[in-house]
Amino acid sequence: MIDFEEELKKFHPSLELEDVEDAIYNQDVTDLADVLVKFVKESKEEV
Amino acid sequence: MFCYKCGCVLSEKDFCTGCGADVGLYKKIMYTANRFYNDGLDKAQVRDLSGSVASLRQCLKLNKNHIEARNLLGLVYFERGDVVAALSEWIMSKNIRSEKNIADDYIEMLQNNPARFDTYKQTIKKYNMALVYCQQDSLDLAVIQLKKVVSMNPKYVQARQLLALLYINTQEWERAKKELERALRIDMNNTITLRYLKEVDEMMPTDEEHIKKRREAVVYQSGNDTVIQPVGKKEAAGLQTIFNIIIGIVLGVGIAWFLVLPSQIQKVTSESNDKYREVSEQLDAKTVEVNELTTQISELTAEKTDLTNSLNAAQEANAAIEANTDLIEAALMYMNDTQDELVIADALELIDKTYMENEATESFRNLYDAIKTGIGPVVAKESYNVGYDAFRTEDYDTAVTNLSRAYEYNPKNGEALYNLGNAYNKKGETEKAAEIYEQVIELFPNTEKARKSETYIREIRGETE
Repeated sequence: MIDFEEELKKFHPSLELEDVEDAIYNQDVTDLADVLVKFVKESKEEV
Repeated sequence: MFCYKCGCVLSEKDFCTGCGADVGLYKKIMYTANRFYNDGLDKAQVRDLSGSVASLRQCLKLNKNHIEARNLLGLVYFERGDVVAALSEWIMSKNIRSEKNIADDYIEMLQNNPARFDTYKQTIKKYNMALVYCQQDSLDLAVIQLKKVVSMNPKYVQARQLLALLYINTQEWERAKKELERALRIDMNNTITLRYLKEVDEMMPTDEEHIKKRREAVVYQSGNDTVIQPVGKKEAAGLQTIFNIIIGIVLGVGIAWFLVLPSQIQKVTSESNDKYREVSEQLDAKTVEVNELTTQISELTAEKTDLTNSLNAAQEANAAIEANTDLIEAALMYMNDTQDELVIADALELIDKTYMENEATESFRNLYDAIKTGIGPVVAKESYNVGYDAFRTEDYDTAVTNLSRAYEYNPKNGEALYNLGNAYNKKGETEKAAEIYEQVIELFPNTEKARKSETYIREIRGETE
């Protein structure tokens, strides 16, 4: 049985079109390739 | 694929041929990202948009510079109505690769259609408003808002899911199912949609139950129509129907009375007020105009009076000049002894009698009288002769003129007066003739003329009587 109140909590307000810029800036764009490069760089520095 | 360190194109080896860096792990990450992208593409092609989003996000977590994955993710977001997310993915994609990027076309497509762009903005605002209504427990208003949202942007899956949830809450299973099926046609593997749909399917009566109910229902034929009467529900009595109609009419009249009529009255009042104001303004303008015209009339009247007075004064002055001129001419002719007394008399007669009586000086009058006395006997005699001759030749106008003058210059000339009466009588001016005859009787009594005059008077009176 679906709990209406609980289900309702899963819906969040949608970002408005004026907020696109903020959405882009706030996005974490670090990928695994970045992590790897950073890791390799740090390993070399330790050596 | 390029080396993360020097940017050289990588070969099949696990190290970079340019800088010698170990790229084995890096290449594995890139390959995995590509696999996620392919998976996302496959899912998008079969409208598993949620699955596609999950795969493409994985891809981008591994390789944020995967342009195709980012563009496809934006497209999938757009397809399920999430315009903001789509736009942000395309902008980021364009930021990574500014040229030869299909994201350009997508962004342009949105920007070049302001009406559509505005519609998207409105749908987002309404969706957020609907969520607020839900939180405030105004579920009816939320349903209205969401209906507007899905009519404006039919692909907005999230809005359809929320609308379905509201229908589920009010146990409107059919409506909920309809919304969920529509959402499913857009995103066929969305877990939320599927979960709601399962719930709805469980709660809805099965086909067997429908059939059972249908069997239990009373079915009969009415003309060409098959009427199915639900079980346990008696046919509404005629009285009940009439009662319902009356309630309907009463409600209708009530609504008209309390809602429609006041607005109509207000409208009519407002219109009449506007009209009244307009007419008042026109009246004021006209009143001002009338006042101005009245003032002008007064000024013109005063001016006219002044001019009339000036004209009268000028005329009087002119009359005095003319009278003096005529008298001087007459005096000159008299002094020069022209022997033409009738011409002198003509000149004297030209003098205005009103001027003579009212404004002429004593000297003027004396001179006038002296000349008149001087020429009197001759004028009287000659005028009498001319007048009498004219009377005999039946030229009564000339006769009247000359006989009058003859009597004027010689009041003792009873013949002149008597013949003047005759001339008037012959001319047809009998009243005037009678007056003259009476003067003859009065001034020259016991004369033949007086007796004849009496006879003529009797004749005249007899005619008139």
